[in-house]
Amino acid sequence: MFGRHDYSFQYSSDCISFGIERDGDIHRYFRKIEGGVKVEKSVISQRGKIVVCPIEPVNLPEKVATYMEIDFDPLFLEPFSKTTIYLTFPIEIGVFVVAKKDIKPLDVFSFIPQKYSLYGPSNGGVISRWAYSPVYAAIPEVNPFECGVMQLTLHNTTREWVEVARALFEAYSMKIYYSDELVSMSAIMRILSSKTAETEFFKEPLVEGMKKAIEFYLGRDIPVVKHNGMMEWGLV
Amino acid sequence: MVILERLQELLQTPLFGTSLSVGNLLWLVVILALSVILARLTVTNLRRALENRMSKNELEILLKLIYFTIVILGVVIALPNIIADLSGLLVAGGILGIIIGFASQSVVSNFVSGLFLMVEQPVKIGDNVNVGSISGNVEDISILSTTVRTYDGVFVRIPNEKVFNSDITNYWANVARRFDYAVGIRYQDDAGKAIGIIKNVLKDHPFVLQRPSPTVFVEELGDNGVNITVKIWSPARVWWDVKIELLWKIKVALEAEGIEIPFPQRTVWFPEPLKMEERQKVPHEKG
Repeated sequence: MFGRHDYSFQYSSDCISFGIERDGDIHRYFRKIEGGVKVEKSVISQRGKIVVCPIEPVNLPEKVATYMEIDFDPLFLEPFSKTTIYLTFPIEIGVFVVAKKDIKPLDVFSFIPQKYSLYGPSNGGVISRWAYSPVYAAIPEVNPFECGVMQLTLHNTTREWVEVARALFEAYSMKIYYSDELVSMSAIMRILSSKTAETEFFKEPLVEGMKKAIEFYLGRDIPVVKHNGMMEWGLV
Repeated sequence: MVILERLQELLQTPLFGTSLSVGNLLWLVVILALSVILARLTVTNLRRALENRMSKNELEILLKLIYFTIVILGVVIALPNIIADLSGLLVAGGILGIIIGFASQSVVSNFVSGLFLMVEQPVKIGDNVNVGSISGNVEDISILSTTVRTYDGVFVRIPNEKVFNSDITNYWANVARRFDYAVGIRYQDDAGKAIGIIKNVLKDHPFVLQRPSPTVFVEELGDNGVNITVKIWSPARVWWDVKIELLWKIKVALEAEGIEIPFPQRTVWFPEPLKMEERQKVPHEKG
């Protein structure tokens, strides 16, 4: 399903069917999820392509957040330690039309329900897309159309034991990679004190050969500004 | 040649008995017009380039700043053209100054209030606010006034001084807000089961925030039924949609499990049997 396709693309499974149908000079994009409404859009294009790839999970049902928060079972990190864990994260699937070096989102959908949360107080915190993940020591097997796998390096830069049970990430800086079997991200969480941390994504795939997904939010902000997730309201 | 000489003469003609000539005035107008055109072009192009990269509020403030900077620069460049002996205008200017001073009191007040509003930012463009008795979405904050579009789509211009001195409620200033429901169930229904059903409905809704988690509890043993209070936190930008959507979902979910919303009821005790009953009994006895 993921990848770059021409206008003959169609995909069908038990729960979804989507693709392009030709109607004279007009290409009609359609998407039907079982139990959901049918989406139809017309595309006027001759030499364009369709790109289907995982995107930052902050767009559905409508965009209210620019952060993703993952809760996991508490981990106790010894002073100055560095360890790598694997978490799962929800994904949304973006369908784009591409022509003459320009990209336009056509549709966004997801196979899993969304949930949002507030990180911090209501007058200073942020709304985040929320998800729970078990902690894995190795890359877990997940459905790549529902969840991705994040390799998270936990770096305790303090001289004290720290308990961590959640991580907050800025959607504007996510670097998502995909293949037919896996969707992935790599990130680091630098723990600055028992209550604060900084998260940052790496521009590297988890497995060799994975393709880089389109960054839905790359063009929407000033490129020189570095977007790291700052956790100032606790790690538990 | 004659035309040129006439034109030169005209341009050098002094105005109002001062050394300020028609030519100077023309230059002033041309430079000011050019600066306004340049400012508008710059702002239009910058808006196009930055509209997807900055919040609307920040962009509008930046564009206004750039616009007025270019116009003021134009004025500064144009000013040497009108450096002239203006002593002839001093008396008239003095009187005019006093008149303008009185007339522009409210303008200056609105201008200063506008500056404070831009610095303090109690409201931003796009926010959902209540200013004095006016409720709606902020469309624009300009130097002299703030424009609000009310919920029924009416354009309201509020002078900045009034905005600055009014009580302002900004519903979007905080990222999340709480709202409540009161749900009544019958006394014969299981309140624990009802709370569980309501919690499941809330759990399934994406915009009922995971944290702070919703609270559902028996608030009151009322006259007509058991009153359950539901307190929900939701993103401030969508709270109204969530509020109008969820109550019906809760009602439907409760009724699907056989739990009903009670009607008002009152039990009345009579010391003696009702006469109506006695009348009804009579025909039976006779028959």
